[in-house]
Amino acid sequence: MAAAAPPPPPSPAAIPETIVPETDPPRHPLFARIRLGTIFDVPQLHKLIHQMATYERLTDQFSATEASLAFTLFPSPSPPPPFTSFTVFILEVSPDPFPPTPQDPSNFSPILKTFHLDLPIEDSEKDIFRSEIGGDVVVAGFVLFFPNYSTFLAKPGFYIEDLFVREPYRKKGFGRMLFTAVAAQAAKMGYGRVEWVVLDWNVNAIQFYEQMGAKIQPDWRVCRLTGDALEAFAHLNI
Amino acid sequence: MAAAAPQPPPPPFLATIPENTVPETAPFRHPLYARIRLATILDVPHIHKLIHQLATFERLAHQCTATEASLAATLFPSPNPPPPFTSFNVFILEVSPDPFPPPAPQEDTTNSSPLLKTLHLDLPIEDSEKEIFRSEIGGDVVVAGFVLFFPKYSTYLAKPGFHIEDLFVREPYRKHGFGKMLITAVAGQAVKMGYGMVEWVVLDWNVNAIQFYERIGTKVYQDKRICRLTGEDLDVEGSAK
Repeated sequence: MAAAAPPPPPSPAAIPETIVPETDPPRHPLFARIRLGTIFDVPQLHKLIHQMATYERLTDQFSATEASLAFTLFPSPSPPPPFTSFTVFILEVSPDPFPPTPQDPSNFSPILKTFHLDLPIEDSEKDIFRSEIGGDVVVAGFVLFFPNYSTFLAKPGFYIEDLFVREPYRKKGFGRMLFTAVAAQAAKMGYGRVEWVVLDWNVNAIQFYEQMGAKIQPDWRVCRLTGDALEAFAHLNI
Repeated sequence: MAAAAPQPPPPPFLATIPENTVPETAPFRHPLYARIRLATILDVPHIHKLIHQLATFERLAHQCTATEASLAATLFPSPNPPPPFTSFNVFILEVSPDPFPPPAPQEDTTNSSPLLKTLHLDLPIEDSEKEIFRSEIGGDVVVAGFVLFFPKYSTYLAKPGFHIEDLFVREPYRKHGFGKMLITAVAGQAVKMGYGMVEWVVLDWNVNAIQFYERIGTKVYQDKRICRLTGEDLDVEGSAK
């Protein structure tokens, strides 16, 4: 959704000479778009996931390759329809407006938003993350989510597995934009909940989520069976 | 995958036991035959009752608004039901005093052949709700529990996994290994499909469950918390600009 630009500063002739003019500081517009990921985004997605693993200090657990991501997220010949399985939203930014997309109620329409920054963003990895779309469009983040199910509500919901914004683009509202995109899709589809996990010491994230209206569930603990412990079930006689 | 158990030995003839010794006979055993199979839409009434029992156990009955109709519509959509294990899946646990028929050979090709197990109980199980949970299959078959799970994804592994949303064994049938049997069914399916993990959540006061999970090699994370956006808050956030 495009946000309207602020009004221009008053012209110099209207300002008395003895008063310091209080003009709006010049703004740097940055155009953002959230769209569905495709198999062509896999190289960028792979780099983003690796950056996220570095940020979370979990690179020892990282074994994804471009091929394994492509194979599992964009299976062919019959890819599942969007939102019925693992779904990726890509966040792109550009100094130029994105072309408006026709609103098609039966399909997902990309979400557009204009950000007015006090200073331009310095992105030293701009060339690495140049979008496959081309031009001056740069990939700034992603969210990966999939349907889950609540038996209590007898309704599907979405579970956000990963949400990541590249470092130069943080603290500007892009994370919120990605969350809102998933929440909007859930609401549109009549889904019951959007869920994700936070580390209990991550007070900044918890504050951010609570401000959005999310509730932290204090009594539940995540359990995981993986690696050798999971493989043992291949041979276990019930 | 059928797991056949050996038949218990017959009791020795009393005539062969010397009068001045206490006979060491095997205690009489009560066989109970168990089967885990994929649920169908015909199981919805039982699934509905089981979910309500689970909600009561978790002290969350006030949050449970599922109806038979809403469960049927979301778990068994028609006309195009998704193939097994690609969306929301339910395994039903049934028990019977009589053996279940072995699965027909053609069922093996669908990756979803029923699992069978025979238990030898010291005492028969008293199930006051046997009539309510009589299986739609008929006979003396009773529904004893279920597990509901669906695919999830790990970006670090670039592999799917399963998330177990609900695992429940009815009260008379607890402490006999049925919970482990249900987890084994899901974990076994995950390994068969080359999946990377099975995950679920547990209430921090459910010490029995936590102990059981840790015994089978599960890692229970103390520092992760579930965040949830629901109801009105979901609608409001979805409309945010």
